[in-house]
Amino acid sequence: MGIAAALLDDGLPAGRRGWLGRIDARAKVLGLLFILVIATLVTTLVPLALCVGAAWALALFGGIDIRRVALALLAVPAFTLALAVPASFNVVTEGAPLVVLCHLGGGHWGPWRVPEFLTVTDRGLFVASRFALRSAACVSLASVLAAATRPQDLFKGLRGLGVPAAFVMVAAMMTRYLDLLVRCAEEIHLAKLSRSLGGVSVRREQAWAAASMGELYRRSRTLADSVAEAMVSRGYTGEVHTLRQGRWSWRDGAFVAGCLAFGAGLLALG
Amino acid sequence: MHIPDGYLGPQTYVTAFGVMAPVWAWASHKVRTTLRLRQVPLMALGAAFTFVVMMFNVPVPGGTTGHAVGAVLVAILLGPWAAVVAVSVALAVQALLFGDGGITAFGANCLNMAVIMPFTGWWTYRLIAGRSPAASKRRWVAAALGGYVGLNAAALSAAFMFGIQPALAHDAAGRALYCPFGLHIALPAMAIEHLLLFGVVEAVVTGLVVAYLSKSEPSLLECALAPSPAPGGRPLWKKLALGVAALVLLTPLGLMIPAKLGAGDAWGEWGGDRLTELAGYLPAGFGKVAALWHAPMPDYAPRGAEEAALPVLSGWYILSGALGVLAVAGLVWIARRWLSGKETDGIAS
Amino acid sequence: MDKVFDFRGVSFAYPGREPSLRDATFDVGEGERLAVLGANGSGKSTLLHLMDGLYFAQSGEVRAFGQRLTPEAVERPPFGPLFRKRAGFLFQNSDAQLFCPSVEEELAFGPLQMGWKEEEILRRVGDTLGLLGIAHLRDRPPHGLSSGEKKKVALASLLILSPVVLLLDEPTAGLDPRSQGMLLELLDDLHGRGGLTLVTATHDLELLPHIADRVLVLGEDHRIAADLPTERALGDTDLLLSVNLIHAHRHRHGAMVHSHPHQHTRTHDHAHGEGKDHLH
Repeated sequence: MGIAAALLDDGLPAGRRGWLGRIDARAKVLGLLFILVIATLVTTLVPLALCVGAAWALALFGGIDIRRVALALLAVPAFTLALAVPASFNVVTEGAPLVVLCHLGGGHWGPWRVPEFLTVTDRGLFVASRFALRSAACVSLASVLAAATRPQDLFKGLRGLGVPAAFVMVAAMMTRYLDLLVRCAEEIHLAKLSRSLGGVSVRREQAWAAASMGELYRRSRTLADSVAEAMVSRGYTGEVHTLRQGRWSWRDGAFVAGCLAFGAGLLALG
Repeated sequence: MHIPDGYLGPQTYVTAFGVMAPVWAWASHKVRTTLRLRQVPLMALGAAFTFVVMMFNVPVPGGTTGHAVGAVLVAILLGPWAAVVAVSVALAVQALLFGDGGITAFGANCLNMAVIMPFTGWWTYRLIAGRSPAASKRRWVAAALGGYVGLNAAALSAAFMFGIQPALAHDAAGRALYCPFGLHIALPAMAIEHLLLFGVVEAVVTGLVVAYLSKSEPSLLECALAPSPAPGGRPLWKKLALGVAALVLLTPLGLMIPAKLGAGDAWGEWGGDRLTELAGYLPAGFGKVAALWHAPMPDYAPRGAEEAALPVLSGWYILSGALGVLAVAGLVWIARRWLSGKETDGIAS
Repeated sequence: MDKVFDFRGVSFAYPGREPSLRDATFDVGEGERLAVLGANGSGKSTLLHLMDGLYFAQSGEVRAFGQRLTPEAVERPPFGPLFRKRAGFLFQNSDAQLFCPSVEEELAFGPLQMGWKEEEILRRVGDTLGLLGIAHLRDRPPHGLSSGEKKKVALASLLILSPVVLLLDEPTAGLDPRSQGMLLELLDDLHGRGGLTLVTATHDLELLPHIADRVLVLGEDHRIAADLPTERALGDTDLLLSVNLIHAHRHRHGAMVHSHPHQHTRTHDHAHGEGKDHLH
């Protein structure tokens, strides 16, 4: 829970986030998502590796918090790696054996056919590296976008790119209250910790977790009702109006152009 | 269950966005007309609540913990259409700000967790709960089963999305471009994990939270936002049957459309006649049925399915889907009978 | 003096509950400073919600600026938007009131609903923040602000619309003494300079002399128990005892135990039989 609170609450103003932080959110969303989509289209290893490299270069030289990109790059591919490694085996991807791992004995296991040997195959190795590299590319690009843009600017940017105002307002309001609910849940959690020294049965612990969630729901509903009143009191009648976006600077344009050119280059590489 | 970027090919994720677009439009229309001025804060807090529910680690017997998705819970508390919006927003924020779940896979994740899960779960809940009072035991048992069914339906759909990747998108050499695991691995792996672990967590969370609220604040369960239960229950049965039938029938369509549109060509140079390759990625068990016990299989792909034409293949899909649906429907029916029997006993004595 | 609010026999109950306000009749003149005083659950907050057109009278009639408040009236132009602009409601829970992702958007929310011009809005945002001395918060998200800052931003989001009346629900609750003092000073200023009408719901007797010239006392039966000037209300011990705002205070002087009404907030002297007068 601490992670969510920390990510939402670093409080740095946009101007203090390096040059990448100063790029208009619309330009960042447009440019980085374009490369992200390209990363799901290319089929060879080189452009995927270039994507990872570009994300790291942006993270290192864009003046953004490198820890967030590093965290994303380490945590998610660890999960992907756990999936990619078995993908290189002959039970998943058939091909010429490169390394024989162990003797399985063949035959059938339930409805599945078991091969004679468990091997790493040439095709499997390629499939696994491409899969892992593609995941890494996507995750690092997404985390650069998140680290370089404050949540409130990100939603504004989405609005500027044509996402419906009502949806953007719900998402923005959700992030605004997420912090409150997380702290609320933590309070309930601490209250529980202080009461339950020593072992508690699984049943009790489940019942406790459910009670906290129920309590959290009750508070969310009360808060939602008050927020609705506060909105109506200031003239809300069901139509969401938001401030217009600032103008694009040549920097924003150049960033998008750079992203488009890079993406097109990747596509040309295959 | 959150599918990351890079696991699904564009054929799948673009299709998922295509399915979600009208669903989102209809859901926001429903929410706007029923909630009017309260829609924005209620959806925002609903989404925040869903997010926090996903962060709770709930212990299960055996020493492990898991977290719930909470989509069925939100559907029970706010109504299924509101759940579509709230869970979608929660997933969007997770994908954009926390890197949890992919951005390109956002449509697919919403289809699984913000549509299939709340609706199957909510239907199950309504069917079992019937018109029982908010404080009755039947309500929370219904909620627990709803959570279990909803999560497993979502997991099944996710597994299906993973499983068709190798056949749907591979390079000229036939190597998988995205998720490399075929249906024969993805389906059982996801099924075991969710039937035995995460489904239990979801059931526990959904059931216990509903039980807690029914004791402490039953008015929150009688929420006016959820469409009122259909009188007599038959229209609901019909709705459920229609929905499920549509899903079962749509499944083979999902396989055929990419082939017919030639979407596969750009990514794998394979035509409609090579669609039978899919069979290689089916659990061999399907093939066994297909070959009517002509086993044993000579190769990785079951013999019967290997030669099967598209219509035959589709037929088996429908059959296996229908069998699964029948099994779940049977379970729900038994639970309903058992609970309503118990309840009348309680009143009589 | 024009009437800002006019209540005639107003009752209100939440669905399925006991009435939280019974048969309230009173009016509020322009530029008045009124306090609604009552114990928790006496219906103060309900009264403010009725004044702000968030709840509607179930019997009787509420008029604001001469117009009867109904669900339709507060939504339909021209009265609806005008009413929302003229009446500002400061909620007790600042978190509920600050629902936008940044302070700037928070202030812009009201004007945007009114359809003001964007340049005008941005100028007014700057002016209003400057007036409250919180210009440095403009770009901040509301959840990292202190409770005093939150209260100020919430107030700024109302003041940007140049309201005629402010409805304040327990405005100083949860604020540290310094922020409390600054808030009271600010409200006093606004009243003095702009002739703003202030209606404050509170159970805090100490606050009364600072924010109100007239007090509406709500009893625990959810009826108006008294309507009188602040000084007289604070002096009427029997009245305050009867609506549970003060309690009988029992204490010991040497060997002698006695009890007397106690306000906590004002010093009062009293005499014991043995001539040991003292001050609390």
